[in-house]
Amino acid sequence: MGGCPFGHGASRRGFLAAAGTLLAAGAASAASSPDMSAAKGVTPASQGEGRLLTVPFEGRHQAGIATALQNHTCFTAFDVTTTDRAALIDLLRRWTAASRRMAAGQTAAPLDEADLSRPAPDGGDALGLAPARLSVTFGFGPSLFEQNGHDRFGLARHRPAALAELPNFHGDQLQPARTGGDVSIQACADDPQVAFHAVRQLAQMAYGVAALRWMQTGFVANAAATDTPRNLLGFKDGTQNPIAAQPVEQTASGTITPGSYDDVVWAGADAPAWMRGGSYVVARRIRLSLEHWDRTPVDFQEQVIGRHKRSGAPLGKDSEFDPLDLDAVDHDGNPVIPDNAHVRLGAAASNGGAQMLRRSYSYNDGANFTAERWPPWRQAVEWDAGLLFICYQRDPRASFSRIFERMSKFDAMNQYATHTGGGLFACPGGVTTADGYIGQGLFEA
Amino acid sequence: MASVISAALLAALTLAATPALAADSFLSTVHRHTMLASTVPANGDQNPYAVVVVPVSSGKLHRGDVLVDNFNDRSNLQGLGTTILAMDPATRGVSTFATLPRHLAGCPGGVGLTTAMAVLRRGYVVVGSLPSSDGTTATKGPGCLIVLDGQGTVAAVLAGADIDGPWGNMAVQDAGARATLFVSMAGFGVGAPGQAMVRRATVLRLALDVPAAGAGAPAVLGRTVVADSLAEQADRSVFVIGPTGLALAPDGTLYVSDAIENRVVAIPDATTRTGSAGTGRSVSAGGLLRRPLALAQAPNGDLLAVNGLDGEVVEIDPATGRQLAAQWVDADRAQTPPGSGDLFGIALTPDRRGFYYVEDENNMLLLAH
Repeated sequence: MGGCPFGHGASRRGFLAAAGTLLAAGAASAASSPDMSAAKGVTPASQGEGRLLTVPFEGRHQAGIATALQNHTCFTAFDVTTTDRAALIDLLRRWTAASRRMAAGQTAAPLDEADLSRPAPDGGDALGLAPARLSVTFGFGPSLFEQNGHDRFGLARHRPAALAELPNFHGDQLQPARTGGDVSIQACADDPQVAFHAVRQLAQMAYGVAALRWMQTGFVANAAATDTPRNLLGFKDGTQNPIAAQPVEQTASGTITPGSYDDVVWAGADAPAWMRGGSYVVARRIRLSLEHWDRTPVDFQEQVIGRHKRSGAPLGKDSEFDPLDLDAVDHDGNPVIPDNAHVRLGAAASNGGAQMLRRSYSYNDGANFTAERWPPWRQAVEWDAGLLFICYQRDPRASFSRIFERMSKFDAMNQYATHTGGGLFACPGGVTTADGYIGQGLFEA
Repeated sequence: MASVISAALLAALTLAATPALAADSFLSTVHRHTMLASTVPANGDQNPYAVVVVPVSSGKLHRGDVLVDNFNDRSNLQGLGTTILAMDPATRGVSTFATLPRHLAGCPGGVGLTTAMAVLRRGYVVVGSLPSSDGTTATKGPGCLIVLDGQGTVAAVLAGADIDGPWGNMAVQDAGARATLFVSMAGFGVGAPGQAMVRRATVLRLALDVPAAGAGAPAVLGRTVVADSLAEQADRSVFVIGPTGLALAPDGTLYVSDAIENRVVAIPDATTRTGSAGTGRSVSAGGLLRRPLALAQAPNGDLLAVNGLDGEVVEIDPATGRQLAAQWVDADRAQTPPGSGDLFGIALTPDRRGFYYVEDENNMLLLAH
């Protein structure tokens, strides 16, 4: 949402620094790649040199969390169908190797062009496409550790307390076919075909070991643009995920500034060793009633969000990055930012300082018949579009669940939003060695 | 949702729709609207309907608590809600008074709790069911009246040929050992959405013999249809539209909100009559009314009707039928006009200086005072 206050993400300064580093890496790989766009005489913006950037797969933290937001995502969840621990570990090894290759702009596995009598180890749909900053981020759901009270793969004793099932929230309409899963794989890239290619190859490699449970694509307006992108509600989304400034919240009790990644995002000493340097992701597919929203007066939309639509400024302020003054009142003593405004309820100051890193995308799945949940309970074929809300935090009990418990009850946005799916996954630390694999610390704990 | 609107805006909206707010009206003494509690229980039920103040402490019931029931289940399907909540005004804490089973012996079609709810002075709760299995009237059953004891346990189930879709807020004459209930029936002849309006809704009077708390269950001494041929219609959006509000005046006149005809009618001698008054006498129609739903009686004797098609409460002098005032208690502009479809139940506070009401769009209980 405009100024959706879920936590604080990569700063513009941080993005630029990272981009500089990555550009250098990209330039090196570009030197060995043919310049196809120039050769064809067509250089659409989507084929610009930014597509040559790569995001390193290896690192203390998995890529795709602190990485500057790519323009497209495919968020997938899998059910592990095998009971064979060794087969699962083997799959994680193969997934790791393939992800490492794809992040570098390669096929999931080397292609044997000499023998076309067998299925190829890569579908080939990304051949010729640039890496497009592909990141692949893995997570483990609560059900990988325990299911119906039974230990799975000997992992129950390693399940972190923070990986407790999310509570039922008010208004939840979670569909089983869009919810949960044993393993999550999120691919993000600046090219939608690159992102889908990645999860498609990984799913194919899992046959017999894990099966696709659900998948949700997402997109954002050009994330690298200088302006904060707008979401499908027409509001700037991400103002409080600092891009160009460090936003603050002002209250009578003082000023709140964004926490650091170590404070907010990365699992620390209180987490099991295998999770240190990792993070917990909460994904929620939130259908937005765009027809309802588009029939709503703009000044009321602004009251719902708590910001001005055109400028993105907090209500009563002039510019997007003016501090959020939650104590401001009008001449009658009523709060300038209403009690049930989205930005107020999500603000750290309204939640005991709770923050999280928000990394959300819009989604658009066409249109289908739906019955709205609010008066006048319109029933029609409507857009199935909205927000693929994604947040990372060191403990979802203290961040997402704490914040959303109140939001789910009181947020004026609830008249337009329905949570229809999602999941919670523990994303372990990254792979730091050439022969390491994702989740190695868990399986060798 | 009133809280999202500034007081100035609220006033502007109110004045725009109500050129003259009678200075001596009850509504002119009500200025503030306070959000009290969410009405969503642990099972996720939604769409609060009935609002009733508990008159006596008995079992889990505490005098002054506000009971609210839910018509929808967690999937927001209408006619499948099964929960009654209790809110303590002192703490604003909410507990679940009763969670009924979806299917109950003797209640045809199952359980989907409606605005028909009353708490008797001997500690029994009577609540209506107009059930569905798919959220529409295509699968509706006749339902029943369910009697709960003070522990929230089912003590009796009342059904029969004169009970089909107990719907509107009950009017009650309660002398302890004897009680008389009035409840509107909005289910007779109602089929799937798309069906034309029918004139088959009734108001049923039930005379009850009420034992002391814990000494059995109330017994029906008499059942009399005191009004009939009222309009009702299946509706895809709001399930059914029919007579929804009942208020009993001290002189025995029963006032009924006739939602489809956009009016309030009077049934004379409702406590004593031995037959039906048909559709009664029209008291007030049109004007500020926009599909009147639940009714309450203000301390000055005026009727308070909540509108279904905007967020207003309308005050009516029942003697003259004059509409004295209206207040836009729910000015949520997510709906057009503001608050449309949001209001349903209403109940006076024990001190009779304000009233409780629900907002269906965000599942809230509020206090106007």
